[in-house]
Amino acid sequence: MGAEGPDAGAVREALAESVGDDPGPVRLRLVPGGASRETFLVEASERSWVLRRDPPGAQSFVPLRVEFGVARAALESGVPVPAPLRFEPEGGRFGSAGYLMERVDGTSVAPRILRRDAYADARERLPDELAVALARIHSIEAGTVEGVPMSGEDPAVAACELWEAELDRVSEPLPALEAGLRWLRLNRPPPPGRQALVHGDFRLGNVIVGEGGLAAVIDWELCHAGDPAEDVGWLCIRSWRFGNDDLPVAGLGRLEGFLDSYAAAGGLPPDPARLGWWEAMGNVKWAVICARQADDHLTGRRRSHELASLGRRICEPEWDLLELMPAASSASRPGAAGSAGLA
Amino acid sequence: MTQDRPDAAELLDALAEFLYADVREWAPSEKRFQVLVAANLCAILGRELRAGEGPLRDDLALFRDLLGASPPAAKLDGDELREAVQDAKSELARRIRAGELDAELSAIAGRLRDHVRRKLDVARPGYAD
Repeated sequence: MGAEGPDAGAVREALAESVGDDPGPVRLRLVPGGASRETFLVEASERSWVLRRDPPGAQSFVPLRVEFGVARAALESGVPVPAPLRFEPEGGRFGSAGYLMERVDGTSVAPRILRRDAYADARERLPDELAVALARIHSIEAGTVEGVPMSGEDPAVAACELWEAELDRVSEPLPALEAGLRWLRLNRPPPPGRQALVHGDFRLGNVIVGEGGLAAVIDWELCHAGDPAEDVGWLCIRSWRFGNDDLPVAGLGRLEGFLDSYAAAGGLPPDPARLGWWEAMGNVKWAVICARQADDHLTGRRRSHELASLGRRICEPEWDLLELMPAASSASRPGAAGSAGLA
Repeated sequence: MTQDRPDAAELLDALAEFLYADVREWAPSEKRFQVLVAANLCAILGRELRAGEGPLRDDLALFRDLLGASPPAAKLDGDELREAVQDAKSELARRIRAGELDAELSAIAGRLRDHVRRKLDVARPGYAD
């Protein structure tokens, strides 16, 4: 860990205040991964916690103070989350803005969850558990959590504008992506009856899964007020199926059962047209994120062959996006979540 | 060819095999994924070199056709070809965004499948099947 890591003594002090007694000396270990936030494992002799903070000097879509509030609201609504313990602002005891939370054991590596024998039972339960967690997230009124970004009157328009603007920060022209984006602009679903708290990045990579199933939902940095169908569409894009192409729900299950569980837990299942629109938009979003990450490498902001490689993955969601456009597709793809509904 | 064999694509094959079969075994577990990414990049480069300029020429013809432009008078090569493709691609992207091609949007999207398929043939063979 570099000299700019959080001070272990200050973290111990914050922990002592939050949990009620002094945990003793703590050791901080940076957990690899995490593109825009730093995650540290905070280990004392008996217990461990997690500290999530901004890299010093960083700016993010949703400030960590807001993320902390969202995690608390999610916990109160029955969403499994690592209990958030304490927030400290920029210049506080964690150095940059950050918060401490309980540690939850498990993995967020999707191919592991989808392939390893140890997670066979978890795979059975996950579609239902993800549906229930998502319905509970969507039961939260976004306006009741301070600082959650709003989407304006029409979340579909907001999404088009956001991802066009993000794409414009990259110099690489992508005509197929532009065609998909233009088509999405011209064929928007009507605004949803109700805007909800949307997680914004709900997929296996952002949940913690134990051998018994879903343990926690994490990473709220793209949360906003919007159309709940956005989270369902994003969860169903082909890129998150990791080769299990006929299982639209994160490579785990079929859509029908998932939507039944979602409805039983209080969610309002989107109609196929709305869901298909957000699945297509999810492909736009993943393509733009790939382009942006490759651009971070090309411009020297963060040199990494892993980021560079994402530039050559843009064509995957581009292809899936074209497949979801009715007239552009030669045959409907059987696994597409919204394949019946984009006409 | 000035250079002796192995040629560029064959060198990349050798590098990919070393990364995949050897480095991956002894790399620490948290670095194994990055080794796989590196091996995959070598494989992508090998396919791109073997594909040559054909995909670029096909893209140029497609983009110019969608823009209603006539094919270039002379056969372009190398940097000139790359520049012409990039110009046509930028112009097409700009006109789609501006809504100037809305009337033919579905047909254009359908034909751009060939362009995306050419990218996938190099980056992720089999993805479009």
